[in-house]
Amino acid sequence: MLSVDRVSVRRGANMVLEDVSLSLAPSRTLAVVGESGAGKSTVINAVLGLVPCASGQITWNNAPVGLSRPALVMQEPRGAFNPRMSLRLSVMEPVTARGRAIDQSRLDRLCNGLEIAPDVLDRRPTEVSIGQAQRAGILRALIAAPPLVLFDEPLSALDAVTQKHTARLIAQMQLEEGFAALIVTHDLGYAAAFADDIAVLRAGRIEEVTASKAFVEAPQSNYGQILRDAAFALGALERVA
Amino acid sequence: MTISVTGLSATRSGRTILHSTNMEITPGERVGLVGASGSGKSTLGHALVDTLRAQGQSVAHVPQSPDEALDPMRSMAFHWREAEGALDLPADNSRQQGLFSALQIEGGDLRKRPWGWSRGMQQRFVIAMALIGTPDLLVMDEPTSALDPVVAAGTMDLLDAYLPSRKTALLLITHDLGLAALRVKRLMVMEAGRIVEDAPTAQVLSAPRTQAAKALCAHRNWLELPC
Repeated sequence: MLSVDRVSVRRGANMVLEDVSLSLAPSRTLAVVGESGAGKSTVINAVLGLVPCASGQITWNNAPVGLSRPALVMQEPRGAFNPRMSLRLSVMEPVTARGRAIDQSRLDRLCNGLEIAPDVLDRRPTEVSIGQAQRAGILRALIAAPPLVLFDEPLSALDAVTQKHTARLIAQMQLEEGFAALIVTHDLGYAAAFADDIAVLRAGRIEEVTASKAFVEAPQSNYGQILRDAAFALGALERVA
Repeated sequence: MTISVTGLSATRSGRTILHSTNMEITPGERVGLVGASGSGKSTLGHALVDTLRAQGQSVAHVPQSPDEALDPMRSMAFHWREAEGALDLPADNSRQQGLFSALQIEGGDLRKRPWGWSRGMQQRFVIAMALIGTPDLLVMDEPTSALDPVVAAGTMDLLDAYLPSRKTALLLITHDLGLAALRVKRLMVMEAGRIVEDAPTAQVLSAPRTQAAKALCAHRNWLELPC
């Protein structure tokens, strides 16, 4: 269980997260949504210990999160890889760093589900499209079967059809392996379809945490309602008769 | 003026990435260009803009990210002056204020460089620049993908209110059929460098003919995905 307990993060004189509390159990998915600059990515950075907490505590099963070896899908697909290494070497690092052997059938299955052609992994990040790099980032996150996966805008570089195929593969892997998924996204349609709960973040504060179906029907906060209505206006959500 | 082009095509490294394409867009018409990644949407958009400019027609292009349109070392005022100069238009404060008001960026400090403005305001500034010359056609390539949903919806609403009175036609390039469904009256579906379907939006959504259109329609709604 991931526990974010009354966490505040300061950058200079500004509080970028203020008194944020969240919890996430294995096999569950929590989506964090909000406007640009609300602090969504800072939540992920704080969970990973990449930014220090000014106050509060973040744990996984009552121990430091780092001990669980969480995986991260980074927002910038190409920048997430070492430009001097092939994607294959980077993607395998979570396995080789644990001293394990590579499970070829698992790799094949994930590549197949993520529509990554075998030769793509032998290229460097600058030699593939942004969409291919993003799918390779998801492959790297899932390859070592981590208990906690943090996704920062994981589908942003994919087209509408590939987005949905990829989201479904992630959900299928989660069903089989039971990892907890924390997703930061602008896309309320994705959040509503695949997350169990939606947390709305605004100016570093949690406005509400609501079950995703209930959120689509009736957000609890004013800002949640503005976000939900914007998603309708963009066609990211549609009113289902 | 009706936009009319014939025989648009493009090759890269000897490979045809846009097959010979004809297109006609009437004044004020709102057209969506949809398709999967790599289907040739942006290539067609660039070819269309280049060809129309070469023909002397008034066309403006808004790229996916404001980073592609704004020089980080130059002030916003410089960009505005440069855009006016490119169109041989004299500085006109009332025109500027009218566009800023329409796109709700009156509060922006023009002395600042792009990074002194929020992403949403940068993108609206780029759209305002594109509208300086009241173009016959505005080509927008994934205009909302870099914006958060509230800013994105607001920007599209502002354009919906502004464009009809100017008879400016819109070509909205997007992979998001949900967005196109709400914002355009006619849809062109691209696949492998060709327009494979061109019909009123309602018709494409209710009875897609081609495989590409069927795939897009089937994956249009996150909450109703095909099994």
